[in-house]
Amino acid sequence: MSLTRSAPPAVNPEPAHRRAPDAGPKSRNWLHRFDNKRVPYLLISPFFLLFAIFGLFPIVFNGVVALRNWRLDDPTLTGWAGLANFEKLIHDDAFWNALFNTFGIFILATVPQLLIALMVANLLNRKLRATSWWRVGVLLPYVTPVAASTLVFAVFFSRDNGMANWLLSLVGFGQDAPLDWRAQKWSAWLAIATMVNWKWIGYNALLYLSAMQSIPKDVYEAAAVDGAGPWRQLWRITVPMIQPVLVFTVVLSTIGGLQLFNEPMLFEENPAAASGGSNGQWQTIAQLIYKVGWKDLNLGYAAAMSWALFLIILIVAALNALATNRLGGGRR
Amino acid sequence: MERFAKRGVALIAAGLAGSLVLAGCSGQDLEGGSDKAAEGQVTLKVNFWGDMGLDKLKAAYEKDHPNVKIVLNSGEYNAQHEDLQKKLVAGSGAPDISAVDEGFIVQFRGQSDKFVNLLDKGAASYESKYLPWKWQQSMSTDKKTQIGLGTDVGGLAMCYRSDLFKKAGLPTDRESVSKLWTTWDDFIKVGQQYVSKTGKKFVDSGTNMFNPVLAQQPQGFYDESEQLQMDGGPKVAFDVAMKTIDAGLSANLASFQPNWDQGFKKDQFAVLACPAWMLGHIQDTAPEQKGKWDIATIPGGGGNWGGSWWTIPKQGKNTDEAYKFVEWMVQPAQQIEVFKTVGNLPSQPALYKDPAVLDYKKEFMSNAPTGQIFAATAEGLKPQYLGKKNGPTRVAVENVITRVQQGSLKSSAAWPEAVKAAQKAATS
Repeated sequence: MSLTRSAPPAVNPEPAHRRAPDAGPKSRNWLHRFDNKRVPYLLISPFFLLFAIFGLFPIVFNGVVALRNWRLDDPTLTGWAGLANFEKLIHDDAFWNALFNTFGIFILATVPQLLIALMVANLLNRKLRATSWWRVGVLLPYVTPVAASTLVFAVFFSRDNGMANWLLSLVGFGQDAPLDWRAQKWSAWLAIATMVNWKWIGYNALLYLSAMQSIPKDVYEAAAVDGAGPWRQLWRITVPMIQPVLVFTVVLSTIGGLQLFNEPMLFEENPAAASGGSNGQWQTIAQLIYKVGWKDLNLGYAAAMSWALFLIILIVAALNALATNRLGGGRR
Repeated sequence: MERFAKRGVALIAAGLAGSLVLAGCSGQDLEGGSDKAAEGQVTLKVNFWGDMGLDKLKAAYEKDHPNVKIVLNSGEYNAQHEDLQKKLVAGSGAPDISAVDEGFIVQFRGQSDKFVNLLDKGAASYESKYLPWKWQQSMSTDKKTQIGLGTDVGGLAMCYRSDLFKKAGLPTDRESVSKLWTTWDDFIKVGQQYVSKTGKKFVDSGTNMFNPVLAQQPQGFYDESEQLQMDGGPKVAFDVAMKTIDAGLSANLASFQPNWDQGFKKDQFAVLACPAWMLGHIQDTAPEQKGKWDIATIPGGGGNWGGSWWTIPKQGKNTDEAYKFVEWMVQPAQQIEVFKTVGNLPSQPALYKDPAVLDYKKEFMSNAPTGQIFAATAEGLKPQYLGKKNGPTRVAVENVITRVQQGSLKSSAAWPEAVKAAQKAATS
């Protein structure tokens, strides 16, 4: 901040020097006050401006659209719809199916993801050879573009020449009738959850690791003296002490899990469908919103669904944060 | 999750997006400025998918029109249509010229106010040159606006692997093969022979039986008053698909997917219902099968699958120049040039009598006279009305067929499910 004040004389020294004596104290004062009172706001304003444009405006605009009729294939149908779109939502079994899928995949993806991340972080926190190599290694899936990895997984889980089925056949499953991963809910959910877990375990593990490293060693030593094994140390010392980070990851996973879109979308065999399988086996809400908006061309209804998803995420994230707080033994 | 992964990341991304927006604006300003400076210099952006044989045309047109610069932008089929739809909603950013496929033309002709009415530009004189149904398909419902000039039609024939037919003891030349199957029931019988001889599947998928059979029916999913009519054409086509699956002929592969492409190479199917534009795909997917494919007539009569139009979104700055280019592209010389380069069949019947089309033989397909074969199927066609909800309805019914193939639905119980799915799509 002092930089802004000293910058003008440095850039253009001559006039500033000459003017400084007569106009000095007053302008200095003004500058000083501006620097103290306004500059901080100025500096953080880009975020809020961008948030207003790309965050707040879409949310509000979506809310307005949700209350209107807006069909691309029927331009004559306009005007306020009131709550008709939301009413339709409640009776739409596709929405409830998508909600069910979203939560199913969310649980299959989030619970193992965070548990395994905790284990991985715990391992990485020990003295290992080539520590940085391991730490960078677990982050690799995270930096892989989701479209690229999902396309690979889509082939991995394909019926005829997929590696998943090849692995299964090694242990004697499905040799005569290979498993069609996309045919059933459970198998499709499992495949998608695997993609999500693969991508996010390393990322969460590193977050946990950084939190773990700030735990003082003497706590563990004291526990060890009292006879606590590694397992007990993990659950009684580590988990409570990294609890803020736990809450953070749980909230983030909730938001991400409920907005799951790329993975189910690219898992689709017919990209024109966006129906999440032949019978909506794995259609998530985000995918359904996309289908209603850009395939059925009903933007008003899609906006209503988006708002419903927004509210659901708010509620679930709050519940999760609360639950994690309790579990971790926190009293905040 | 990526969006909310980290506030820092989001912020940087937002910042980047912001600067991109700024850069975009300034870029446009600059372009506008130079436009004025160069006096009448016009840039036309053309969006399409795959290869429409435009590279040579672009060079020729730019040579004759030094003030016009043409930017070709080929993308993925679905993405290009979606992009166009979004830009139409946004009111800006659409290309000057956009190709629209049959699968999407209904969606866009419903928004005819967003496109330049080509009748205003003098396109009416071309009506008599086009296949009547091709001309009608891109007309708005009130018949007052023509949003596109047709470029190609698909036609419909049956591609088959003559080498695999030989192994199965079936005839291999195109006349005898065509005689094997005049009806779809014959076709299924031939398939059963093939399967019992070779132990391999005959067709790629039940949906690729449903779609061509539906295209042959006088009426599709909807009648002209936009009422869903499942008991007409769709029922006939659905029954053929079910019979095929029940007879064990289908390899159950989803079209245009990695598994399907592998199916070509692994000889997982021996026939493929093919419109003219499919030949390019076969050639790209399995170049080593040159000379192993041939083309017979399709059972059940003529039909059409796919084909595109050139449209001009109204929001463009240079719609006059855009129309001039489109008009030039649909002239006989250019249409024949495209046919020769990529194989897309013109949609103007006069060209079917042109020696360049009549005598053309496709080397990859065992020198089959593709011009003659596909023209014959497209020319005699009765127009089928495509309803507003045609696209989503098709996907819904295809999904039911896929469920049968996946074994999660019995073929005997499938029709009521298909009707239910279609009704849902009709009211969605």
